[in-house]
Amino acid sequence: MANLNIDSVKARTFDAIVIGSGISGGWAAKELTGHGLKTLVLERGRDVKHIKDYPTTNKFPWEFEHHGQLPAAVTEANPIASRCYAFGEDSAHFFVKDNEHPYIQDKPFDWIRGYQVGGKSLLWARQTQRWSDFDFEGPARDGFAVDWPIRYKDIAPWYSYVEKFAGIAGNKDGIPELPDGEFLPGYPLNDVEVYFSEHLKKNYKNRHVISARCAHLSKPNQIHIDQGRTQCQNRDLCQRGCPFGGYFSSNASTMPWAEKSGNMTLRPFSVVESIIYDDKLGKATGVRIVDTKTKETIEYYAKIIFVNAAAINTNLVLLNSTSSRFPNGFGNDSGVLGKYIAFHNYSAHIGAEYDGMKEWTVDGRSPTGGYIPRFRNVYKQETNFLRGYACGFGGYRYQQHKYDGVGSSLKEGLVKGELSPWYVGSHMMGETIPKESNHVSLDTKLKDEWGVPLLRMNIDYDDNDEKMKKDYIEQLTEMFTSAGFKNIQPSTNHQAPGLDIHEMGGARMGKDPKTSILNEWNQVHACKNVFVTDGACMTSTSCQNPSLTYMAITARAADYAVSELKKGNI
Amino acid sequence: MDRRTLIKNLALAVGGAVLLPSCLHPDGTTYIKLKHINIDADQEKLITDMCETLIPKTNTPGAKDLHLPAFVLKMIDDCYGKKDQQAFLAGLRKFTEMVKTKHNSSFSDLSVKDREAVLIDIENSAKPKDGAKAPARKPRPQKHLQADPLMAFYWAIKQQTIFAYTTSQYFMTKLVFYDMVPGRYNVHYPVSKLKLA
Repeated sequence: MANLNIDSVKARTFDAIVIGSGISGGWAAKELTGHGLKTLVLERGRDVKHIKDYPTTNKFPWEFEHHGQLPAAVTEANPIASRCYAFGEDSAHFFVKDNEHPYIQDKPFDWIRGYQVGGKSLLWARQTQRWSDFDFEGPARDGFAVDWPIRYKDIAPWYSYVEKFAGIAGNKDGIPELPDGEFLPGYPLNDVEVYFSEHLKKNYKNRHVISARCAHLSKPNQIHIDQGRTQCQNRDLCQRGCPFGGYFSSNASTMPWAEKSGNMTLRPFSVVESIIYDDKLGKATGVRIVDTKTKETIEYYAKIIFVNAAAINTNLVLLNSTSSRFPNGFGNDSGVLGKYIAFHNYSAHIGAEYDGMKEWTVDGRSPTGGYIPRFRNVYKQETNFLRGYACGFGGYRYQQHKYDGVGSSLKEGLVKGELSPWYVGSHMMGETIPKESNHVSLDTKLKDEWGVPLLRMNIDYDDNDEKMKKDYIEQLTEMFTSAGFKNIQPSTNHQAPGLDIHEMGGARMGKDPKTSILNEWNQVHACKNVFVTDGACMTSTSCQNPSLTYMAITARAADYAVSELKKGNI
Repeated sequence: MDRRTLIKNLALAVGGAVLLPSCLHPDGTTYIKLKHINIDADQEKLITDMCETLIPKTNTPGAKDLHLPAFVLKMIDDCYGKKDQQAFLAGLRKFTEMVKTKHNSSFSDLSVKDREAVLIDIENSAKPKDGAKAPARKPRPQKHLQADPLMAFYWAIKQQTIFAYTTSQYFMTKLVFYDMVPGRYNVHYPVSKLKLA
């Protein structure tokens, strides 16, 4: 029996464990296995193999039971998931249903989740803008949160590293606040987007419309072909999973690459209950999981652990990993774990018409659109709120059909139709300020079906967000008006935090162990063989879409972890 | 990429057409089993004839040829909540009575011209709430129906019939070209070169 036990422990021992297989976990898996580490990747959901497990990817509209519409039974049972723009009959199987993993909303929070190999990397909007020092220096300059322990120069080479592999389409725009990267050819702006770009250039200082950088293979390089991916075919059906591997996902890119190394063991259906801390050794020795099918508890062991469970669930794992050394959650000597959670403010839009360029349109579809980098409070504080917002911007025309009447005239109206004028639209992507009061915590009584305490969400907007929203509407209205756009229609909504799907923080990086959880290498200050490199690590949010930064931070931390391991330091 | 899988998937996608669980009544109308609402044979015939009045057979197939009534009923059964379905059913009864009072006949027994007139009368009496806005880019049915039963009924049938028609295989392959894999994005493209159906 003793021998059997030893064998069993041996079979459950790896060099590294990665918790999660989404956009950052996939990168941890690729990097660690690439350095020869035998790596166990734990995923709480099912496996989703590239192409094979994209059941709807090649379906025509009429091949769906409801031609793409969701039944009322589904939307009524899933009010949270239904609020996500990408939740449809073609993609619902990649979303966590509301009743599958409940949580307590002390304040409304739309928690959008994808529990499967690849996580939300199958569903993301694929926008990949770099941060600059205007972002990393923000908290120190403006006096909120804590100073980031890293600067742009620390992360820049890793941005390049992940961009080359993931494949990022973009143009070299030469804008200091949105640094250029290693780009495949950018998707062009259309006529009205170019017009607005030129208008801003002429009439404003430091306001630009650029082609939003996106994780699409506009023109694949050898490294992408080696991943089995090929050129983006402009289908605009990304939420189904792409049979061409046209956009970056863990499933199409990092996970198969890690698998090819021969060093990865993937274990789906594994909810991580906690990280195991050994008092005597003074470090983490592994993780305790619950098999979601058998409900069996199993321990796995490794020298290093990467926590990439997605921001909120990473907080959950850490909060639930208590020991005599860490009675208040893993690495939580400072007491800030689960706090200073922030997100992006997406609660304002504006639309208008442009009565010009009638003879021009577009042909085909673009996987991206226009992007206005943050122009508020960049070089100095200039408004009555802190920080600022980036804006999505797009122009489009479409064939207008007549739905009036009945019979043959209706039939004709549905087939024929004139091209509409140009419409333009923009949405706000605002930075929010991390605050201690915006936090998640564990319920003291209620547990989920795997015995893990339920999360309580206490995250809300504040006065700064309201002022910023007002400014967005004012500025965009003014810019649209001066550009000659007509019928300008601003709109705001009260969408709950979470629906932006950019929740960040809770285990923030910082210089001082007294006020942060992670150091400049994403190591837990108080336990150096545990690394947190997903959204939970974010000290502040800036306003760029965060995934690219998670990828770069993860690759950088993995490289450091491997070198520390080789030196015998961890 | 696994080309073989891709080609297989594409072949499946091209070859496969969805089969609605529908069959035919002895009188030739489409019959579909509903889960949430009760529709009797007369009401089903009424809805079928409304669909055919909206999208009649001309030199191209009509609603019945394309089995749209079965899909419309399925959508009403599956995709509206209980409250909307009750408004729909109340509207269906109101519509039936209204036609009876006005024409002393059932809708199905009216001439095509009279059927069209009945529908146009309702349509002109009240446009759907968003009628004033720019037309939708895609003719998707509204998620919720109007509170007025007659309007709820009429617009549910009309919107779902248009949706059924414009997302049917026939429409998307024979009348317009649904470009699933454009493989291109050309900007500054002359409208004159655009192939509008």
